[in-house]
Amino acid sequence: MAGLLQQVSLPGEEIPWLNEIRRRGRMVFEATGIPTAKTEAWKYTKPRELGGDDFVLALPSNNLDASIPNLAFDSYRICFENGIFNPRQSILPQGVEVLPLIEVIMFHPEYRTLINANIQLERFPFAALNSAYLNEGVFIHIDSKVEIKKPLTILYHTDNKNQNLLCNLHNLILLDEQASAKLIEYHCYKGELKSRYFVNVVNEIYLRRGAFLKHYKVQDEAFKSNHIALNCVDEASNAVYQAFCLQKGANIARNETHVLLKEEGAFAEINGAYVMNGWATLDTTTDIEHLAPNTISHQLVKGVIGGDAKGVFQGKIHIAPLAIKTEGTQLHKALLLSDTAEVDVKPELEIFADDVKCSHGAASGELDEDKLFYMRSRGIKEEEARRLLIDAYLEDVISKIEDEKIASWIRLMAK
Amino acid sequence: MTTPILEIEDLYARVGDKEIIKGFNLTINKGEIHAIMGPNGAGKSTLSNILCGKPGYEVTSGSVRFKGKDLLVMSPEERACEGIFLAMQYPVEIPGVPVTTFLKHAVNAIRKHRGQAELDTMDFIKMVREEGKKFKLDAEMIKRAVNVGFSGGEKKRLEALQMAVLKPDFAILDEADSGLDIDALKIVAEGINSLRDGRRSMLIITHFQRLLNHVVPDFVHVYADGHIVKSGGKELAVELEEKGYAEFEREK
Repeated sequence: MAGLLQQVSLPGEEIPWLNEIRRRGRMVFEATGIPTAKTEAWKYTKPRELGGDDFVLALPSNNLDASIPNLAFDSYRICFENGIFNPRQSILPQGVEVLPLIEVIMFHPEYRTLINANIQLERFPFAALNSAYLNEGVFIHIDSKVEIKKPLTILYHTDNKNQNLLCNLHNLILLDEQASAKLIEYHCYKGELKSRYFVNVVNEIYLRRGAFLKHYKVQDEAFKSNHIALNCVDEASNAVYQAFCLQKGANIARNETHVLLKEEGAFAEINGAYVMNGWATLDTTTDIEHLAPNTISHQLVKGVIGGDAKGVFQGKIHIAPLAIKTEGTQLHKALLLSDTAEVDVKPELEIFADDVKCSHGAASGELDEDKLFYMRSRGIKEEEARRLLIDAYLEDVISKIEDEKIASWIRLMAK
Repeated sequence: MTTPILEIEDLYARVGDKEIIKGFNLTINKGEIHAIMGPNGAGKSTLSNILCGKPGYEVTSGSVRFKGKDLLVMSPEERACEGIFLAMQYPVEIPGVPVTTFLKHAVNAIRKHRGQAELDTMDFIKMVREEGKKFKLDAEMIKRAVNVGFSGGEKKRLEALQMAVLKPDFAILDEADSGLDIDALKIVAEGINSLRDGRRSMLIITHFQRLLNHVVPDFVHVYADGHIVKSGGKELAVELEEKGYAEFEREK
């Protein structure tokens, strides 16, 4: 049996500082282990099944020969197949640095201070695990004042071929002053719906002064897989980060976003939707730290939960003593489609400054019988009426996506 | 020759433990317009909800046949596809679903039931816009979510528009005039009258004579305590307006 921590030979072992990151990651994960219900941050989402599983580390020999899923919009493409970067399937933009992470580690050590700069590994066991294998991933660097109009899509395409694959991916995204881009992450699978694998992603995003990143994600993993993602966003003054994440796959999944609004005028909008059935647990966790005056954050997350599934939302807004005149809003809503569907919500506000505007709200409910009857009384079949009402429920959050083509794609994926 | 479209026989129904419909009888023939008048709280809306299959009502005895078929075994959507339409007293708001999307799903569901091909989207939108003009609902309004942000009068006009688009064989108008000012009342009444073609039947449920001045019924029934206590022609509505319901309630 091979668990999550295995002895493997990885590229770059001759680089001491890289070894140190990996060693520390291994050490921290050994100490913390897989979180249990006793770990406050993992009270509602229990990735216990990972403990007993036999894993095969993603290696270049696991490459899959599959055609790329079609995207409904024109986009650059950065392809990971079975957790390994595949340059042949990728279409990279000109004039933008897009490199495999390991190349940056080997040849551009000046960026090494960006790695784990804002991530306290003790707080994030899976980020520690990720660091233990630090190797795969992509580095995207957009120069000052450059605007990339076409979206950059990172496509994660996984097919386990009966192996319980462990994919660790670490992406570094750096937008220099007033650079602007759209980043899309699309996690999908090929072959068996019942594929088991574990995707563990860390995205470190640095937005320099006035930079603007739109970050869209669709998590559509196979329904027995596990998916853990940590997005750590560092924003300088007047930077804008707008995110939308749709989660619909995996058995246990968490999309965690930790935003540091470090300088005046930084803005973050973290929206999301999740749609689930069966017995999945889909978790959205946020931690927005307002560390400077006049910073703004908005969060809207909506879930549709059926079967025996469980939705989890943990949203934290922290306002530091200096961060006066800041605004933080948060709203989570869930639609429960069955008696056995469950939702756990934990909002947290930590306010240490005066003169701030802060609000949070949570609501859950069922499909409205009167609306259903009204539609049925016009001839619309019950199933279709339910579908229309569910689509309508998600519409107010999906319609916040400004790019119409991407919004249409996500709308379609949410069905 | 008269062909019955709706035949209600000795109907008893309740909500929870409360018996509301008690021995109700009514036959409506093709092309006829009937009005049921009764005081508030007499169970008029219960009757319309039962005819449309709203969950939560229990029929304890009696029968309802629509075009000769047992209506009570049909789902609400089957009833609509068979040609029943209920213009509701309190139309429901559906945020996120535009009027056009809602109506397109309804029209195509009914067409599918009849074995007809689905309508082309552009043709459909053109048709709804044309019909909308008759009810003073402009293109901007029919793009909005169903009933969301509509005034009371606009909601009633949207009900009438839906009826005009879905072209039912039998329409129930439940307090179609409540909340309407005189101009809106005329618009709704004209819409209803334009659908009156000698083949389509209607049941108008109201507690005022007001709408009946504009949509003149063939028959008027006084409804009290769960059943019809008196039936007559259009002059009965005038008599009711003068005497009030109390007299009829005593008569039974």
